[in-house]
Amino acid sequence: MNAPNRYELYVLEEGERPVEVVEDTKIPNAATIKIVKQDHTLGNMLRAQLLSMPQVLFAGYKVPHPLHPYFLIKVQTDGTVAPTALVEQACQKLIATIASLEAKFKREFTFKGVDGAVPEAGPYGQGAEMSWPGQKDYLDL
Amino acid sequence: MSSEPEPVVRIRELKHDRVNFVLENVDMALANSIRRVMIADIPTVAIDLVEIDSNTSVLPDEFIAHRLGMIPLVSTACDEAMRYSRDCTCETNCAFCSVVLELNIRSEILGLHLDVTSNHLEIAPARPGVMDEVGEELSKRVENFGLPVGKNNPNVPPVLIARLGKGQEIRARCIAKKGIAKEHAKWSPCSAVSFEYDPHNKLRHTSYWFESDAKAEWPTSRNATEEEPPRDDEPFDYLAKPNKFYMEVETDGSLGPQEVVMKGLQELQTKLANLILGLKAEPEVDILQNSEQNQGPGPAGGSAQNAGSWNSRPTGGAGGGWGASPAGRGSGSWSPTTNNWGNRSSPNTGGGGWGGSSPANAGWSSSGDAAGAGWGNQAGAQGGTWGNTATSAQGAGWGSPGQQSNGWNV
Repeated sequence: MNAPNRYELYVLEEGERPVEVVEDTKIPNAATIKIVKQDHTLGNMLRAQLLSMPQVLFAGYKVPHPLHPYFLIKVQTDGTVAPTALVEQACQKLIATIASLEAKFKREFTFKGVDGAVPEAGPYGQGAEMSWPGQKDYLDL
Repeated sequence: MSSEPEPVVRIRELKHDRVNFVLENVDMALANSIRRVMIADIPTVAIDLVEIDSNTSVLPDEFIAHRLGMIPLVSTACDEAMRYSRDCTCETNCAFCSVVLELNIRSEILGLHLDVTSNHLEIAPARPGVMDEVGEELSKRVENFGLPVGKNNPNVPPVLIARLGKGQEIRARCIAKKGIAKEHAKWSPCSAVSFEYDPHNKLRHTSYWFESDAKAEWPTSRNATEEEPPRDDEPFDYLAKPNKFYMEVETDGSLGPQEVVMKGLQELQTKLANLILGLKAEPEVDILQNSEQNQGPGPAGGSAQNAGSWNSRPTGGAGGGWGASPAGRGSGSWSPTTNNWGNRSSPNTGGGGWGGSSPANAGWSSSGDAAGAGWGNQAGAQGGTWGNTATSAQGAGWGSPGQQSNGWNV
């Protein structure tokens, strides 16, 4: 019973800093950013966004150990922008992309809701197309 | 991404428990993050604690408790309608952070088994006198919030929990809590998420095993009709990137598909926003640490220079730190005093690293010629390779104004 709480995988501890920046000592314009309590979901997305930006010479991320809930993202820029500023830009661009996706999803959902005969009542609201074999009222496995 | 075309979403099918859509002009990493976040980061309600009063069935307690946990409960809008237990002010659980369901059933029929299903779970009557706290969570709950999905709906088959013979009974109190699937998969709103791209394998991200002809042996998916099949003489475009993603999100009923997708996108934005916040908050914390360390003139310069230049590690701290333990300073170790690459031996480190506020320190590659410590260009006096602090040599020739007051009594 000495296992750590499972929520420690995604909840910041008291006083824990979500982000730590270490500037690289041997490579110009480079920094390694440790992002705590996040995983591939954020890391890979961020890495891909950084790579699509022209100022970036290098961007990569790793999750050093699957049981340790953090990842490292390493960025090297061409010197016009600071690595941390660039990561911030990348985040902002991603947020903008997702926001536009969100608006499009919203529109699509309302269209489908109008003519697609989907009840607004939510899951299993009035779904009558379900039928299971046999007379039982549950799926007998 | 400004040069890239706008992302496109097309919902192909929307049912009460699933949505099938095509995502275009997005990066694969983004599409995959959407998938991951929908599976693992959206809060739902599930039975988490089971107090078993009596269990005379053939199944052991933990067996039943586990089965109870897997039952999907209606969790509509549960990020507003419920608190996390760990954030709640109550001691164990209360109406704001839990839903209590009771299972109380006994079989009296001889010769026939009685099926205990999720339909037998009832919301426990609220305990009197505990509701002295105010909170708007309860008003945001839908009518059947926390009840098993499809309870008492004849079109939805209930979940079988156990079968009881004559005289057997189960009496249990189940406490359902809010959680996310990173903690336990029972909190995932999705029963399946399918994700496909490049149905013709034009990008050769996979290779098909075949006896004689891969094309004849591997049927194409239904998404293949959305894209042009490759011509036989088409050369392989090794630079091509996947651009069109086919996803189907199937929920277990605890949330509707629309809610899952929209909450997923919101959650992604929250993650990114938190990262921006974290990056912004960073220098301020450092200033604090520096001013604590540094009784000397350092901090003013340090904080000014901190604003956003990438010497965000305000080097004022170095001043204080230096005198304290000059020898122990490793290059590039993570500490508030760590300077940027190469130029920790600059005299100006006390005031600002490169791009710093010190006039001598204008460009990053020339941090104060007096000290001769541009990166990779250490003055011989310092004798350090860059990023290295030649501690003994440094004492001499440092032009920093605040040497003594900073404690550099080398």
